[in-house]
Amino acid sequence: MSGDGSKGSSEDGGWRERGGATLDRLVDASAAERVAISLGSLVFALVVGAVLVFVSGFVAECSSPFIYLPGLGYGCYNPLEMYWTILDGAFGSFTDLGQTLLQTTLLLFTGLSVAVAFRAGLFNIGTQGQMVLGALATAMTVLTVGEFVPDTLLGSLVVIPVGIVVGGFVGGVWGMIPGLMKAYANAHEVITTIMLNFVAAGVAYWLVQVHIGDLASDSVQTEPIPGVARLPASIDGSRFSLIALVGALAIAIGIALLYSRTVIGYDLRTSGIQEAAAEYGGVDARRNVVTSMTLSGVLGGIAGAIYVTMVQYRWQAGIPPLGFDGIAVSILAGNNPIGVIPAALLFGTLKTGSVAVDISLGIPNELVEVLRGLIILFIAMPEFFRLLGKHYGFGSEPVATDGGERR
Amino acid sequence: MQRRTFLTTAGVGVTAGLAGCLVDDGNGGNGGNGGNGGNGNGNDTADGNGNGGAGSDITVGIIYSTGGLGDDSFNDMANAGIERAVEDFGISYKDAEPDAPADMNQMQRNFAGDEEIDLVCCIGFDHATDLEENAAEFSDQQFVLVDAVVEADNVANYTFREHEGSFQVGHLAGLLTTTDYAHGGGETNTDETVVGFVGGQETALIDRFEAGYIAGVRHADDSIETPSAYAGSWNDPSRGQEIASGMYDDGADVVYHAAGGTGGGVFQAAQSAGRFAIGVDDDQSISAEDFSDVIVASMVKRVDNAVYDSVEAVVNDEFESGMNDLGLDDDGSVSATIGQDFEGELPEDIVDALEESRQAIIDGEIDVPDTTDDL
Repeated sequence: MSGDGSKGSSEDGGWRERGGATLDRLVDASAAERVAISLGSLVFALVVGAVLVFVSGFVAECSSPFIYLPGLGYGCYNPLEMYWTILDGAFGSFTDLGQTLLQTTLLLFTGLSVAVAFRAGLFNIGTQGQMVLGALATAMTVLTVGEFVPDTLLGSLVVIPVGIVVGGFVGGVWGMIPGLMKAYANAHEVITTIMLNFVAAGVAYWLVQVHIGDLASDSVQTEPIPGVARLPASIDGSRFSLIALVGALAIAIGIALLYSRTVIGYDLRTSGIQEAAAEYGGVDARRNVVTSMTLSGVLGGIAGAIYVTMVQYRWQAGIPPLGFDGIAVSILAGNNPIGVIPAALLFGTLKTGSVAVDISLGIPNELVEVLRGLIILFIAMPEFFRLLGKHYGFGSEPVATDGGERR
Repeated sequence: MQRRTFLTTAGVGVTAGLAGCLVDDGNGGNGGNGGNGGNGNGNDTADGNGNGGAGSDITVGIIYSTGGLGDDSFNDMANAGIERAVEDFGISYKDAEPDAPADMNQMQRNFAGDEEIDLVCCIGFDHATDLEENAAEFSDQQFVLVDAVVEADNVANYTFREHEGSFQVGHLAGLLTTTDYAHGGGETNTDETVVGFVGGQETALIDRFEAGYIAGVRHADDSIETPSAYAGSWNDPSRGQEIASGMYDDGADVVYHAAGGTGGGVFQAAQSAGRFAIGVDDDQSISAEDFSDVIVASMVKRVDNAVYDSVEAVVNDEFESGMNDLGLDDDGSVSATIGQDFEGELPEDIVDALEESRQAIIDGEIDVPDTTDDL
């Protein structure tokens, strides 16, 4: 699997050749093969994670150890129990399922946001900031507009879309800034988007704390949004709304179609991957960089809008790092809009399941985070070597002219 | 007090069920008794035993605030309260540590909807907004909220008059900086009279700490400089150290922090500057013992008692919703506690002056401001 790319011995014509052959095979892997590799990596990550959890149990202290090994002492953590708790916590009841789907929906939006930029060869680390500002814009919009509409379904049909559009707009503007800086000042988008995250968080915090927040509360937060602006919950005990999930899935499919079936999508892909070639082909690469980052920002802003209208029902300082999780989701999905769907589901499962682990097992939440890291690492590694191989011309097909996509 | 002792003694002697009833009766005065540490404990242990299995089937769900466990302060105090309840009543508990306020809603709902759980303890003001909705939705569940108020029939609120305790440690700091004093790992700088304040996040709650503190300093001497700064976080010790170091460099003799885990950095700065610091929430000369040579005092806020008392009420089946606003007079629910290394080592006149101001606050002769706007 992944390790083969760098491993090898002097027999059989040397590691270089064997590595090269492996890279060739990775680059040429079909979609089905790549899915198989990902699943294999997932299993491998789970096994390594289990060993890690098991071993950490021997250096931890607990009141009721689950195993005693002579020579090693008492082990506190049972990895099988942990996996079971994650699964049970994520799917054990309708409420849990709703919670998992809720996380999945949010991760779909942030994952798509990162994937859209990635598709154009841009690394958008700024989804978090776009989401934070989008969320705040949505909260303020629905708080304002909510006062003028009747508290009926009709009112919801006005308020919620308006809120989402404003959230997407603000996120888009925030994404456009690094896009412009990249296109016209050659500022690297990784640096600018990272820094803009801090700017976004700081601006939002200050605005809410000093100007537009709920000043009666000790928390830094806005007033709760009115009921008319809340997405209707589909499952008892969870705020998950099927409407949001369906919307997210539709957007995922829409983006996949945009890239595979339209001229705009083709331009966006090519200009990111081979700017010179695209320019030669009559594509305005600069404008496409701005467009890609803006589109990415819009999706980040919508993630924030959904977060406010479906999950938190207000803006509050300390928005969870869904934007950063989106990077992992996108990498896991190989930046494929359709692949983002299972990747988001996997992360949603781990996220909801880890709460159950935190609450009902003595296993520290941090170990579940380690598990998430392992999964990304193991699944991303073959993909990493594949991209590396492609970059250095392994595989059997040329690269740039097909728009950077391999099917 | 005497009545309570009698009832408890009787309760242990009589059969388990009857003991429960009797203890229930005696418990009216129990809420106020919480601050009474050792004594209250001893009796309560007896209660637990007398009740036999009755207490042990109670399960508590406790959700901390974002600073998390290991802050040697606010959250660890709450944990100490629940651990004491485990020992005394044989209850069991589940806990959850939110990474961000956004996690609190779901954790509240998880616990509230859990059939096993009889009481959900929400530690910290960030819980308030979510609890308002969840308390209404889960109207059969009993909740405890520390540091904020949700008016509902099933929520018991515990708030503290932190400004009163902060006034006291401010008074102490003000007196120290005008005195030539050296003990433990620190000494005062007699050239300048400066005392600092480091807050966590800039919220109304921490403003209350700051207001009380500065008022206390001014009570000692109007001309003392009182720089104050906020770290913007409850768990950023390096930021705390940075801020406090700056204050010590500017001549501060004492820095008081109300910043949860961020305060660890303040102690570090005090140690390297050879000056003094004042802890918060817990007696930090004990909970952060490595720094006990510079922690001259702590503004102790008995969050542990609030948690313990509320659990005890549930064990005795007499949970009561409503407000518990605790200050200096409520059996030490809020108090300026001298650090363990400084106990008996402070100048006599400072100790006397502190006792005087304490009494004056309780008697209402000193009006302690609760926002910096009122200074």
